[in-house]
Amino acid sequence: MSPNNICTNITNKLNTGILIIDNQYNIVLWNQYLEIHANKKPESVIGKNIFEIFGELPERWFKRKVESVFQLKTQSFCSWEQRHHLFELPHTRPITTNSHFMAQNCTFLPIETDDGKEHVCILIEDVTDVCHYQTMLKKTLEDLAQANRIDGLTQIFNRKHWEECLEKEFSRARRYQHGLALIMFDLDHFKLLNDTYGHLGGDLVLIETAKTITKLLRLGDLFGRYGGEEFAIILPNTDKIGALDVAERIRLAISKNVINFQDRDIQVTASVGVAVINENDSRYEDLISNTDLALYDAKGSGRNIVCVAEELLEI
Amino acid sequence: MSDLNLNEDQQDCLQEIINVAMGQASDQLARFLDTFVYLKVPSIEQVSTISLIDTLNSSENSAAVVSQGFFGYEGIRGEALLMYKPKDSHRLADLLGYEPDELSVDEQIIDLSSILTTTFLNVFAKQIDNQMSYSAPRLLAGSQSAISDHLAQQSFSWDLALKVKITYQVTDYSFNCDMVLLIPESAINNIKAVIDRILEEF
Repeated sequence: MSPNNICTNITNKLNTGILIIDNQYNIVLWNQYLEIHANKKPESVIGKNIFEIFGELPERWFKRKVESVFQLKTQSFCSWEQRHHLFELPHTRPITTNSHFMAQNCTFLPIETDDGKEHVCILIEDVTDVCHYQTMLKKTLEDLAQANRIDGLTQIFNRKHWEECLEKEFSRARRYQHGLALIMFDLDHFKLLNDTYGHLGGDLVLIETAKTITKLLRLGDLFGRYGGEEFAIILPNTDKIGALDVAERIRLAISKNVINFQDRDIQVTASVGVAVINENDSRYEDLISNTDLALYDAKGSGRNIVCVAEELLEI
Repeated sequence: MSDLNLNEDQQDCLQEIINVAMGQASDQLARFLDTFVYLKVPSIEQVSTISLIDTLNSSENSAAVVSQGFFGYEGIRGEALLMYKPKDSHRLADLLGYEPDELSVDEQIIDLSSILTTTFLNVFAKQIDNQMSYSAPRLLAGSQSAISDHLAQQSFSWDLALKVKITYQVTDYSFNCDMVLLIPESAINNIKAVIDRILEEF
């Protein structure tokens, strides 16, 4: 076998589509891979315009791409990550992936034929497999990032993520001189509730409370589980009056909420503390401790009540 | 470590080859992009892993980084990083001669990177009687993630690299980007051998 024959043979055995076009976009070479995957014999495509054979090609874009290869005499690429495919071809995993067409990496190579004419060789590789697994990986990473922010039981923000949000909102409020309010509430006599109904009952109360409060909040409010039976809400751009209004609605909603557990009705109340950002707060933790003090006041004043942090007047 | 350093003659020679290549690349790019492309005098230096990561991290506000590997004969190989600033990416489609709705911003950035890298390296290779091949360009950091996210998770298999930085300016589009060519430790001696041969021929 002559070396030329070997090359032709390999070109036809490769698991890569090989296609050569001249400067008029007419096809001059078509390997076996394309014959099989596009289901078209070389006789029916050689000499034909590439846009006639692949009507799906974005003509204007494609011409500019090929022009860069001719003019700069350098290779060019097209990845599935930016364009899933250029050529509508079937692929090798039609059953186990949901991809309709073969995902492709295409390479455009400038080549000169023996007669000195310039051509562009297009290599088409099937990367449906890579595309499939990469997409799955991306989805998994997104799920993980989400799981990292969410409290498993109540499905609201966990303490860590909630505090990160507060840190951001705090510095934003400082920078733009915006208002910022914090609400923290604690379910009253929760230990007694756990002792009476068991931890499953307690868990259900936490879940239902989170659901009820979520419905009351505005889009920008950030609701998290601070710990145990304690919840916290960041209210950006909110003053004391606005925050007190939300706090009172929360107290009322919880006290009216009847939770059915194993054919028994559970009712709980909450003590609520409110604070707004003030000049003396240098860190977001200061805002938390002011709110905490107000919550402590609410507990001390007989529970099921809203208390607001006293603003220290500077003398 | 010091034996990897280029001596003064080698440094001058490399600088000269790069200058000539820049001139030709700038000419070809101007013709293709139909606007004047200015390449600023390059800086050539040896960098350590740590200092490179610091440099890349300090350019934190770069909107995008594209990496493309290159490899030629005689063990000349490395990685090209193209770094863009956020405000500079909105007229790329226009510069490249595409309609904005024909391709995404990411694709525009990748396309331009590939054109800048391969055009320069092709003429550079010709200067040293070589020929380059390239891997497909990859977006390391785009609108979604910062370059530091990619670098922080890696341990590198090299300590030193030869770094050539060239700034591209397209004044008509008030556009700027940096091309950083990094030649890893293992390939520095290969490029030195090539430079020495050129020096001998003079």
